[in-house]
Amino acid sequence: MTNTIQHRKAATAWQKRYDAHAPKVGDMAPDFELHDVNGQNPVRLSDFRGQKPVALVFGSFT
Amino acid sequence: MSLHDLYQKYHDRVQFLSIYIREAHPVDGWWLGKGITGKMLKLARSKVATDVYDPKTIEERRQVAGNCETALQYGIHTYVDEMDDAVNKAYAAWPTRLYLVGVDGRVVYHGGLGPFGFKPAALGKAITDYLSQTENSDTLIETPTIHS
Repeated sequence: MTNTIQHRKAATAWQKRYDAHAPKVGDMAPDFELHDVNGQNPVRLSDFRGQKPVALVFGSFT
Repeated sequence: MSLHDLYQKYHDRVQFLSIYIREAHPVDGWWLGKGITGKMLKLARSKVATDVYDPKTIEERRQVAGNCETALQYGIHTYVDEMDDAVNKAYAAWPTRLYLVGVDGRVVYHGGLGPFGFKPAALGKAITDYLSQTENSDTLIETPTIHS
C-alpha cells in the first residue's frame, strides 16, 4: 500500500510538472519526428499541416 | 465509442498517430499485475499487458511497442517516443492522453490527464465538431458568389 501511495504521488508530480507547459487549445502543437516500431518510416507532425487534422493517441502496453 | 471505432469512422479524413510512450505499470515500477488487482485488470481490459518490464533501450522500447500494436489492434500505426521521453514530456502525455491538432497545426482538443481523462468519445465529438466547422468553411469559400 505504501508503495502504491509513493508511485501515485510520483505520477501526480510528473503530470503536474509537465502539464503546466503542455499545449492548450489554440496553441501550436509542438512538432516532433518519430519512427515506427521498426525504427523506420519517420513521421513528422508538421508534415500534415495544411493537409489533414491529426489525432494523437498516447499510451503504453500496461 | 472506442479508438478502433473512431479510426474506422474517420481515418480517411483524420490522420491518426499512436505514440508509444514509457510504460505506465511495468513489473519493475508501479505494477498492478499481482493479486486480485491484476486479476481484475485482466478481466476488465484483457488486451492490456501485466507482464512487461520498463524498456531500458530504444530497441526494447520498439519491441514492446510492436507487441502493443499487435495486441491492441486499433488499426492505428504506432510510432515510438525516444528514450529521452521528449514528446511525452512536451504533451504531458504519460500515462495516456488524447489530442486533436487542426490543419493549421494548432491544438483543437486536449484530453484530460490520463488515465481518467482518456475519453475517446470526447475526442470523437471534437473531431465531429472540427470537421463540421472546417467543411462549412470550405463550403463557404467554394460557393460561388451570386451577384444581382
